[in-house]
Amino acid sequence: MSEKGANIDLLFRNGLKDFEVLPPPGVWDSIHSAVKVKSRPVILLRVAAVITVLLTVSFLTYRWTRELSNTPSQLVLSLNEPIPQPIISVPFDNPKTSVIGNNIKGKSSSDFIVNPSDESIIGEEAAEEVSPISILNLRESKSLSIVKKSRLNGQLLTPQNFSQVNSAEIKYTEFQYIPENISTKPANRWSIAAMASPTYYSRINSGGDELSSQLMSSEQPLFSYSGGVSFSYKISKRVSIQSGLYYSSLGQKVDGINSFSGFGQYNTSKGDHSFEVLTANGTVFTSNPDVFLSSNAADRIVTAYTKDVFDPKKASLAPVSSSLSQNFSYLEFPVIVRYKIIDKTVGINLIGGLSYNLLVHNTVTTTLDGNVYPIGDTKGLNPLSLSSSFGMGMEYNLSGKFSLNLEPTFRYYLNPFSVSTGTFMHPFSFGIFSGVSYKF
Amino acid sequence: MSETKKIIKGCLAGNRRDQELLYRRHASKLYAVCLQYSGNDEEARDILQEGFIKIFENLEHYKHEGSFEGWMRRITVNTALEKFRCRHNLYRVDDIDAIKEPDAEPDNQDYAGLEANDLLEIIRELPTKYRMVFNLYAIEGYSHKEISKMVNISEGTSKSNLSRARVILQRRVGSYTGLKKKAVNE
Repeated sequence: MSEKGANIDLLFRNGLKDFEVLPPPGVWDSIHSAVKVKSRPVILLRVAAVITVLLTVSFLTYRWTRELSNTPSQLVLSLNEPIPQPIISVPFDNPKTSVIGNNIKGKSSSDFIVNPSDESIIGEEAAEEVSPISILNLRESKSLSIVKKSRLNGQLLTPQNFSQVNSAEIKYTEFQYIPENISTKPANRWSIAAMASPTYYSRINSGGDELSSQLMSSEQPLFSYSGGVSFSYKISKRVSIQSGLYYSSLGQKVDGINSFSGFGQYNTSKGDHSFEVLTANGTVFTSNPDVFLSSNAADRIVTAYTKDVFDPKKASLAPVSSSLSQNFSYLEFPVIVRYKIIDKTVGINLIGGLSYNLLVHNTVTTTLDGNVYPIGDTKGLNPLSLSSSFGMGMEYNLSGKFSLNLEPTFRYYLNPFSVSTGTFMHPFSFGIFSGVSYKF
Repeated sequence: MSETKKIIKGCLAGNRRDQELLYRRHASKLYAVCLQYSGNDEEARDILQEGFIKIFENLEHYKHEGSFEGWMRRITVNTALEKFRCRHNLYRVDDIDAIKEPDAEPDNQDYAGLEANDLLEIIRELPTKYRMVFNLYAIEGYSHKEISKMVNISEGTSKSNLSRARVILQRRVGSYTGLKKKAVNE
C-alpha cells in the first residue's frame, strides 16, 4: 500500500509539475483595480501630511509675528477699569474737534453720539460751551458710540464723569491712543507678481541600475522654462506666504534613435503601438503608425519589427532624424514662505516651500528641417508630483507699489519623475526668475 | 540585476506595466495550482485574484532568497487554505464508501496516457478535506506535522485523510486508464 501510495503521489506530482492553465479573462482587471485603490490612500496621506505641516508652520508664524507686533504701547479702554489718563488728556483747544448739534446743554446724553472717527459730537445744535468730551482725542480702530440709556443731567461727558456712566451702553471695539503725527494708513499686505525664467534641468537617479545609467548617458536636457503669476500675503513685517499658478516646460533629447517615415504601408500591427523605446524617464510608446524606429543599442527598442524582420533601407523609408525629443509640461501650485532678511530699497528674501506639479502635456517628437513630427508619448510618468524649492529673492522697490524682482531658485522633485522599471529619476532645476510685483 | 528583480522593483514603485508583466508571466502556473485546490472554476478564480493581491501587497517582504515562483506559490496555497477554512469545508465528513466505484476495472500498474488535464480532473473530484491533505503532502511536500498545523487537524487525521485520498485516486486513475484502454480497443 505504501509503495502504491508513493506511486500515486509521484504520478500526480510529476504530472502536474509545470502544468499551466490560462486564467479566465478579467482577473487581471479585478486585481489591478484592487491594488490601485489600496495604494491611493498612501499618496493622499502624504499630501495631507505636507499640507498640515505647511498650515501649522504658517499659523504659528502668524501668531508669533502678531504677538511681536502687539507691544505694550497699545492701550485699551474698558468701562470696568479706570480710564487711563493719557487717553483723554488732550488739549481742549484741539482745532480738529468740533461740536455739531442743537442745544446739547440740558439734553440727555442719549441724544447725542460721540463719534471719534470724525472727532465730533453730533446733536441738534452745536453748543457754545465745548465740553472736554469734544476733545476726546481718541482714535479707535472701528467705532465708538454711546447710545440711549445714560443720563448725565445735561452734562456733557467729561473725563471726570465719564467713569460714572456705568449705565451707559458703550459699544467699542478697541481704543488706542495714537499721536497725531502717526499715520493710520493700512500697510500693503497683498502683492501680485508675474515671474518667468529659463531653467537648467537635470536629474538624479536614485537607486537605478546599470541599464538606467546607460540610458541616461545618451540623453541630454532640452531648453526648459517656467513662468506664472503669484499672490503673496504679508503676515508680518518680514514673513509672507505666497501661492499662485505656474507653467513649466522641460524635456530631454534622446540620441541614438533613428526614425524613418513612410512605414504606414508596411505596418500590420493590430495593437495600439508598434515600438517601445526605453528611456531613463520612462518607456516611449509610438502612436504614429507611419514612423519606423531603430537603434544601434541592443534592447533599447522593443518591437516585432526587428532588423531580421524589416529593413527600412530596403523598404526605402525616408530617414527623419537620429534622435527623439521628450517634452513634458506641468501646472504648478506653489506654497512658498518668504522671509525678508533686508527691508530697504533693495530687499532680500529667503524663499522656501513646496509645489504640487500636475502633468498636463506629455509628447515625444522628432524634428526634420525645423518641422516637428509627433511620435507618441512616454508611459509611466507620475501624473502628480511634489517638488521642493529654495531660493533667494532680490527686490528693488521702484515705488511704494511696484518693485522689480530677481529670484535665483533651486527646485528638487521629491518623488520620482516616473515609476518605470528600475529607474527612480528625481529631476532638479535651477532658474533665475525675474519679474515685476505690485503691492496693494 | 535580474529581470525578475527589475519587475519586482517596478511593482514596488507602483508601475502598472510591471505589475501586469508579473501577472502575465505567472498567472497560468498559479491558476493551475488554484484549480488543484478548488472544487470549481469560480473558486479557483477567486483564489487566484486574492492570491495575487496578497502577492502585490507583500512584495516588499520578499527577500530575494529562494525561488520567487515558490514564494508566490506558497502565498497562493495559503490563500486557498484560508478560503477553505473560512467555509468550514475541511471538517465535513465524506465517507469513503460514498465514493463512486469506477466504471471500468482499475489498472493500477499502467498510468501511461494520463495527461495533466486528466490528473487535474481526478484530483478535483476528491472530497475537499482529502484533496487538501493530498495536495499539501504529495504535491507541495509538507509533512503531516506541518499539515496538521496548517489545516488545524491532528496528525493522525492528516495521515488517515491522505490514505483515503490515495485509495480514491487509485480507483479513479485505474478507472480512467481502464476506460481509455477500453475506448482504444473498441
